Amino acid sequence: MDNEQKTNVSSQSKNTALDLLGTFGRNLGLTLYALFALFPLVWMIICSLKLDSEMYNTVFVFSPTLDNYKAVLLGTDYFKAFFQNLIVAGGAVILTIVAGVPAAYALARYDFKKKEDLAFQILSFKFAPEILVILPIFTIFQRIGLYDTYFGLIWVYQLITMPLVIWVVRGYFEEISVEIEQAAQLDGYRWFDIFFDILVPLIKPGLVASALLAFIFAWNSFTFPLVLSGFKIQTMTITSLRYIASDTVHYGQVAVASLVAVSPEIIACLFIQKHLVRGLSFGAVKG
Amino acid sequence: MAQLKLERVYKRYVNSDKSFFKKAKQNDYAVENLSFTCYDGEFVGILGPSGCGKTTTLRMIAGLEEITGGDIYIGETRINNLLPKDRNIGLAFEDYALYPPLTVYENLAFNMRAKNRSDSEIKRAIDYVAPLLKVEELLRMKPPALSGGQKQRVNIARAIVRRPGLLLLDEPLSHLDGKMRQQLRHEIKRMHHEIKCTTIIVTHDQMEAMSLSDRIVIMKDGNLQQMGEPIEVYDNPANEFVAGFIGEPPMNLLSSVISRADGAFLFTFPESELRVEVPKRYYDALSDGQRVTLGVRPVDVVVAKTPTKGSSVPIAIYENLGDERRVSVRVGDSLLNMTTSEDVWYERGEMVQLEFKAEKTHLFDPETGNRIVSRKEGS
Amino acid sequence: MARITLENITKKYKDKTALDNLSLDVLDNEFFVLFGPAGAGKTTLLKTIAGIEFPQEGLVRIDGAIVNLIEPMYRNVSMVFENYALYPHKNVYDNIASPMRSKLYRKDEAYIKEQVLRVTKMMRIDELLDRKPSQLSNGQRQRVALGRCLVRTPNVFLMDEPLAHLDAKLRHFMRGELKEMQSAFNSTTIYVTHDYMEAMSLADRIAILNSGHIEQLGTSLEMYYTPRNEFVARLFGEPEINIFSGEVEEASGQLGITALGQETIMPVEPDVAAVLRSGNHKRVHIGIRGADITFSFAEKLGWIRGSVYTNEPIGNKVIMVVDVKGTHIYLVAPNDTKAEIDKPVYISMNMKDAILFSAESAEYIIRHDARNVSRRRGANKAVG
Repeated sequence: MDNEQKTNVSSQSKNTALDLLGTFGRNLGLTLYALFALFPLVWMIICSLKLDSEMYNTVFVFSPTLDNYKAVLLGTDYFKAFFQNLIVAGGAVILTIVAGVPAAYALARYDFKKKEDLAFQILSFKFAPEILVILPIFTIFQRIGLYDTYFGLIWVYQLITMPLVIWVVRGYFEEISVEIEQAAQLDGYRWFDIFFDILVPLIKPGLVASALLAFIFAWNSFTFPLVLSGFKIQTMTITSLRYIASDTVHYGQVAVASLVAVSPEIIACLFIQKHLVRGLSFGAVKG
Repeated sequence: MAQLKLERVYKRYVNSDKSFFKKAKQNDYAVENLSFTCYDGEFVGILGPSGCGKTTTLRMIAGLEEITGGDIYIGETRINNLLPKDRNIGLAFEDYALYPPLTVYENLAFNMRAKNRSDSEIKRAIDYVAPLLKVEELLRMKPPALSGGQKQRVNIARAIVRRPGLLLLDEPLSHLDGKMRQQLRHEIKRMHHEIKCTTIIVTHDQMEAMSLSDRIVIMKDGNLQQMGEPIEVYDNPANEFVAGFIGEPPMNLLSSVISRADGAFLFTFPESELRVEVPKRYYDALSDGQRVTLGVRPVDVVVAKTPTKGSSVPIAIYENLGDERRVSVRVGDSLLNMTTSEDVWYERGEMVQLEFKAEKTHLFDPETGNRIVSRKEGS
Repeated sequence: MARITLENITKKYKDKTALDNLSLDVLDNEFFVLFGPAGAGKTTLLKTIAGIEFPQEGLVRIDGAIVNLIEPMYRNVSMVFENYALYPHKNVYDNIASPMRSKLYRKDEAYIKEQVLRVTKMMRIDELLDRKPSQLSNGQRQRVALGRCLVRTPNVFLMDEPLAHLDAKLRHFMRGELKEMQSAFNSTTIYVTHDYMEAMSLADRIAILNSGHIEQLGTSLEMYYTPRNEFVARLFGEPEINIFSGEVEEASGQLGITALGQETIMPVEPDVAAVLRSGNHKRVHIGIRGADITFSFAEKLGWIRGSVYTNEPIGNKVIMVVDVKGTHIYLVAPNDTKAEIDKPVYISMNMKDAILFSAESAEYIIRHDARNVSRRRGANKAVG
């Protein structure tokens, strides 16, 4: 008995040493990967602090300046574009939730003809390259007066946001046993109450995650605002183009513009990183 | 054909949940100081609730799990360091794991083909095994076309076709529904009778273990609780756990205080009027005021036909189940159940006196759960 | 408290008929059990009463009033779902309180608290009030679901296999608890199960459902002793009743039956003989339960010779399967019986307890003393 325990102990201490080595190796690997992943961001910050003349130096020694920031943030209407982008992307996501969640519910719960075809068609909106459909949409928008309006962009953004939200949320609805709704009906709740008191809390992780992802896609959209908006509505992706003049490219200013553009995404992702992974990987509704 | 022997076997899983800074907590033993022997040709059931270490034990025997401490022998050979394929073991798991593109015949032959046995030898082996598990008709079919019960028959046939020294079955019946389960239980028992191969079955179903095994190993939290023939663990459970685990309907287990009145010992129960006479054979092992856990099977509780020193209590439940009748009385928070196949009828609330069949009454220490034995028995 | 009446209900799912022109009348305050194999339509029937499934044909009445077009929430029924259907994001207390917080059945919080505590105490889950369903064992979830159902005083309690997912021990225990609580329900109850012991124990009356129609309606003893056909007979009892065919023969004026390839005629009682004669039955199916067959390992004259197929000790008894010329006969032996496989054994059928079925239609013909055995309440009183 004693003998055995000793052998156990020795084998365990050997294990521990091996494990330590493994842990060390793993952490080293992760650190290297983090450097690799973060480098572009770091480089962009550095660029934003450089003068155009120093731009092509690859050494890390330079005289930092805030000129680029001044030029972009104070010298142009970049902030206006920021807020317009917020309105367009935010509005697109809100419209998606208002229309998409009930649609997802219907696709999950009701049995109707061609249901799967319809669901697939919604998904397929995401397949078509934007560049392929943009010209007809441009013509139509011009005719019906949606060109260069908030609503026009919000509407066309549904192509990006709606399929994502519907497909994720539909999965969540399908995970909720229909008997939970029936039980609530027998408990005396109306459908409206059931939807908000019982279903919405259960789909929340998926809804939040997919809505955030949809927001990011809408925020980053380039082709649609490039063609479908003019002078009244300008999104940041388009505005950033301005720093690429025909003769020179103001890399410093581009870097500043990009930094401002990605900041809401980075902040949002950091906040709900945990929910994002869980929300998109299901399994949260089990009870 | 072989005897299997486990000697002080331990198993501890390494805790993989650790970080660079914090030392991982060590897991408890999954199997602790387990020793038992299955004789040549014996059918042994390893029985216990989930997490008791029964499957771990089976996997250590099969060589799928490293042994933390102790020795396992098949015959005279210590097999701790043998590869699974060299242990001469037949295995059938709960999941069938048949090769879907192959016919049943080819599934059965697969292993022997790998060992380059001749076609005629393979055919002879399959012809012998197929009727034992009633799979003769299925040999040309492919697994997807089979029902769950048929798949499990093929699975077991595949495990025995090589005539292993030891056959290990891991919950082979738990996927099947009632009728199919009963039939396959019969086939397994008859198959074992025919080939007399040392067999171990792991199960959580006490009925299955009782009906199949020559002897049963009962485990809980990695520890052996009792090993014995089915009737032995049923009639003489070593402790409260075994008593409660074996038998359906379950044994009544009630906490009781012994009280002495008029020279007789009585069982009394907290918050209950019920008094029942203690069988005389326990008198020398008990004292006034002692706390015990009383265990008595529903079939061993009877309504007294002549007056006893106990008290009358009202009947709380009467159930006529056709084959048998069940009667229960309230004892504090719990119910004391009795079962009889006699054709009796009671009304709820009817007052009765109860008796426990003397030789079938078990007493357990409420602290340790161990059996209290009268001195006569103990000596 | 209400009487539930179903009139000619037909319910189809696409091309599959779940309920086939089914009529049923459940009396006020009755404990009514729907019993049958999986897929018989039991759950559909419950949901039709609850209003969450709509029959294509037929009427559902609660206390005489037609409720086909009434929304589920206005029907005032309370249901336990087989998969519990607890609200995953609410704790035990809020789950059970939920029916009393809806606009329709709202009560004040003090009353709710009192009721929740009463029910959780009864269900022995009063320690778990703050837990979420995901933190409970199956047995506990089941009791929460029962609690949510019983906390109300509805027209009818509908219970869909409330004990099905519990392990054998807990199921046994909960059945006892339910049986004892029954009188406190104080309402009509319709209870679905596929466990014959639950059905027999709890029911005032049982309806046996089989592929959408009712096979038999009656008390548990009627079902057990005088099943209407072989299907019903097989549902009750453990081990399953033995059913095999036999020939009606007459020898020296006495009617009897031969079976299992034997020469010996097993005589039948006069009341049985009369029915066999008047119905001119030549071939019958004999149904006999394992407990009504005696066995001996020593040779006995006139007994049927067979061999032990298997012998299974299950604790308080041994189930022995005897092979008689290829037919397997299940019988119940004392728990210390030891029998080698293939050993010869002699069995004798107690024909007084045999149930005879028609060989053609599998319908019930007769059993000895049928009237009395299925209705004896208070008989054999002497033993108690």
